[in-house]
Amino acid sequence: MSLLNNLEHPTEARVWRGNLPVYHRYTAGVAGEKFLRALKEEGKLYGTRCPKCGYVYVPARLYCERDAAHLDEAAWVPVGPQGELLSFSAVYVDLDGKRLESPQWVGLVRFDGASGVTMHYLGEVKPDTLQVGMQVQVVLRPARERVGSIRDIAYFKPV
Amino acid sequence: MEHLVYPTKGLSEEAFAQHQVLFETWQVKAEYAWDTGVAIGKYLDGLKNGRLIGRRCFKCRRVLVPPRMFCESCFRPTDEWVDVQDSGVVKTFSLCYVRWDMTRLKEPEIPAVIDLDGASRGMGIMHKLGEVDPKAVKVGMKVKAVWKPAEQREGSITDIAYFKPI
Repeated sequence: MSLLNNLEHPTEARVWRGNLPVYHRYTAGVAGEKFLRALKEEGKLYGTRCPKCGYVYVPARLYCERDAAHLDEAAWVPVGPQGELLSFSAVYVDLDGKRLESPQWVGLVRFDGASGVTMHYLGEVKPDTLQVGMQVQVVLRPARERVGSIRDIAYFKPV
Repeated sequence: MEHLVYPTKGLSEEAFAQHQVLFETWQVKAEYAWDTGVAIGKYLDGLKNGRLIGRRCFKCRRVLVPPRMFCESCFRPTDEWVDVQDSGVVKTFSLCYVRWDMTRLKEPEIPAVIDLDGASRGMGIMHKLGEVDPKAVKVGMKVKAVWKPAEQREGSITDIAYFKPI
């Protein structure tokens, strides 16, 4: 006998409805805060170089995840504003799965002087000319529009 | 090895209100609908009608409360519906002076596990005790359900307001 046979009155089937009140507040942390402030106020990009292994984190971090070294004031180094395009992709749907009128280009960029990569939008692109290895340059939003977010970088454009 | 202690500063609500730090906020839309299944559906239906329903396994003879359609002990479907009493024995309890949202309480909430009469031992259900001096609560104390008025019941475990000593 299957378990289903025990359901003598299907109308008794019930659904319990609920709603989890989940509210997030995210802070960038000590190094992230400083990185975003520099982006907002100076329009400049910084990384932190690990004194032990030489790896340059962008956005700047407070510690090296490879050897746990503290990346203090002396570790801060300017990076960019240009970088190498390492990978790119065209996105045809938005976050809700709706089709976009024109594709949104995204790319992985390694800023000049950085070790890690940054993912962001590509703009002012002619799709046929995009190439892995090409130089791209950061395009910032106007100073008065910047709020201290990674979106203060509007996009990267080919040099 | 280098002792790694980084200089950090605690953040207060004030710090956020005054935008001393950069931050992002968002709210997840976390609505859900949980299919109660056959057994819990019937259990909740019973609560709405002022009854506590269990389920018996013919093999191990246990009465499971809340009911389930499968005996986890015998690894076979359970066999029949059984009414259990709305009285029982306090198996364990706690005096809680903080609410779930961490606000302090003057009078404690008293969550307790209650072994219902008619259900097998170890089938205790979690509920609250009421109409009792917190100092007088004891393991082994006989208690009985205080039901909400029928028109206020909605098919939920909270259709029992609390258990009180008898």
